[in-house]
Amino acid sequence: MEVSADISLPAPDAAEREQAKQRLYVLFQAAGWSAWLLMEAIFTFAFPEPPDERRDVTTNLSIVIMFMTVGLLLTHLLRPFMRRWKWKQLGWRQLVPRMVATSVVMALIWVGFITGWVHGVLGEKWSMHVAPVVIVVMDTCFISIVFFGWLCLYFFYHVFDRLNRSEIERFQLMTSVKEAELRALKSQVNPHFIFNSLNSLRALIDENPGRARRAVTQLANLLRYSLQSGQLETVPFEDELEVVNDYLALEQVRHEERLRLRLDIGTDTLSLPIPPMLLQTLVENAVKYGISPRADGGEISIVARNEGGALRIQVSNPGEIKASEKAGSTGVGLHNAAERLRLIFGEKATLRLRSDKPALVVAEAVIPLPVHP
Amino acid sequence: MRALLVDDERLARSELRRLLSEFPEIEIVGEASQTKQAREQMAALKPELLFLDVQMPGETGIDFLAALEPPVPHVIFTTAYDEFAVKGFELNALDYLLKPVDPARLAAAVNRLPGLSQSTLAKPGPAGRLESADKVFVREGEKCWFVEVSQIRLLESEGNYTRVHFADAQPQLFRSLNAMEERLDPKFFFRANRRQIINIAWIASIEPWFSSGLLVHLKGGTKVELSRRQAQDFRDRMSL
Repeated sequence: MEVSADISLPAPDAAEREQAKQRLYVLFQAAGWSAWLLMEAIFTFAFPEPPDERRDVTTNLSIVIMFMTVGLLLTHLLRPFMRRWKWKQLGWRQLVPRMVATSVVMALIWVGFITGWVHGVLGEKWSMHVAPVVIVVMDTCFISIVFFGWLCLYFFYHVFDRLNRSEIERFQLMTSVKEAELRALKSQVNPHFIFNSLNSLRALIDENPGRARRAVTQLANLLRYSLQSGQLETVPFEDELEVVNDYLALEQVRHEERLRLRLDIGTDTLSLPIPPMLLQTLVENAVKYGISPRADGGEISIVARNEGGALRIQVSNPGEIKASEKAGSTGVGLHNAAERLRLIFGEKATLRLRSDKPALVVAEAVIPLPVHP
Repeated sequence: MRALLVDDERLARSELRRLLSEFPEIEIVGEASQTKQAREQMAALKPELLFLDVQMPGETGIDFLAALEPPVPHVIFTTAYDEFAVKGFELNALDYLLKPVDPARLAAAVNRLPGLSQSTLAKPGPAGRLESADKVFVREGEKCWFVEVSQIRLLESEGNYTRVHFADAQPQLFRSLNAMEERLDPKFFFRANRRQIINIAWIASIEPWFSSGLLVHLKGGTKVELSRRQAQDFRDRMSL
């Protein structure tokens, strides 16, 4: 399981995005006004006007095409203006009155054109039944509503587009933050330990060549694991345990009889997943605060249990929890481990430091069963 | 030269011992695995050279040194990986060795020890006085200095601490001015007033001051006022 998430989407190319939007606009305009044309046609045929006022087909068609063309042109010309006035950035309180006003103005222009065409150019007579003023006002109202509808669609699209985009951006940001956090929290083997081990090893070459050879292998295992596990989100507990054993063997080279061990590992825990270097961090901490400061050292115990799929690990060392002690030095390793645990396994995973008995510190990690095993 | 090895790891000490066997001029008089033990050994064995691990249980080598009653012996720090301490040393050209120790680096460090050729090593003077060639270890924040007593121009009281002026630094020493006065050689150091002790060797000029006092200019630009009584003492001392 790679940490580098495939879920992060590549940022869409801005130019490509603009083109796609342009295509969508053309499609909408064409489809919208064609639908209008179709509706006009259906209405004309379904509800024919009285015979004395019926126009011939060519006149009717020319009027409807004029209708459509003027509508298309007006809305299309409005677009650059709305861009220039930056209407997309307005709140709806400012936008709605502008939309209403624009609709009415455009409707007036439209009605002007149509009236000019029908009664001016084509020379059609005004209706006998209704006063011309009423017709103009009613037409204006009706057409205003059409334009208002057009504007609503236009802005709805932009609102959704923006929501969508910010959602994607936030998602991308979240994943990248999570990745960065994980990378930063990945603990590595303490360099101080590495060089001290190498130093002890050098002394060991003369003193106990067999032990020195073994120590070289153990150090190599630990370093390899520390370098490779950086790419993994979880490893089987067994793998981690093996490396912790190598680490402890090396610490025993350094601390000799000062470091005593007690391991109690349930066999059903070995295949459970664990973030790499988690147990290592707990044990390193136990050595740092429980063994190093003590002239006669002490015992470190590691207990692991499978509790219905959840892995419970307890690492204990002699000592006291010093909450007031320079918070910087005490908690960083453990704090990072806890954060890492939370990022991978969610809120159910816990890492706590407690003291059940006097002079005994227990670091306890509970790692829940992963949702997707 | 009598050396004491201080490191919490037995193997580290034995490795250093093995490396030092190449240098007949270095005699290892003792080993300590903790700073407490090291303090006892310092008092009992009076070593002239200290190989001091920086990272030790409980107390760092630097803490240990800062708490040590001056004069401090020659010190060569050993450290496995300690970015900050190493940076602090480099600034002040103190010697340190990185573990595992490179024999060539060790040879260079040993050859640099000044005492080896002159054999005028820091031995406590009469009544525990600090000689002018003795060194005081001062630490402030991450910076550390080994200051030769003769390089100190001025010591200023700051409550229970003393600010030590030398070269272009003035770190604080965790000792009172009175405690320092007892350790300093009156031939060189003069109590100018309640707050200040000056090094006579660093006086640039003296001018008469109000009500029969004196104003002393030190090399480096510091001015120190002497009241009438202290001015009288000073004149008596200088006319000797």
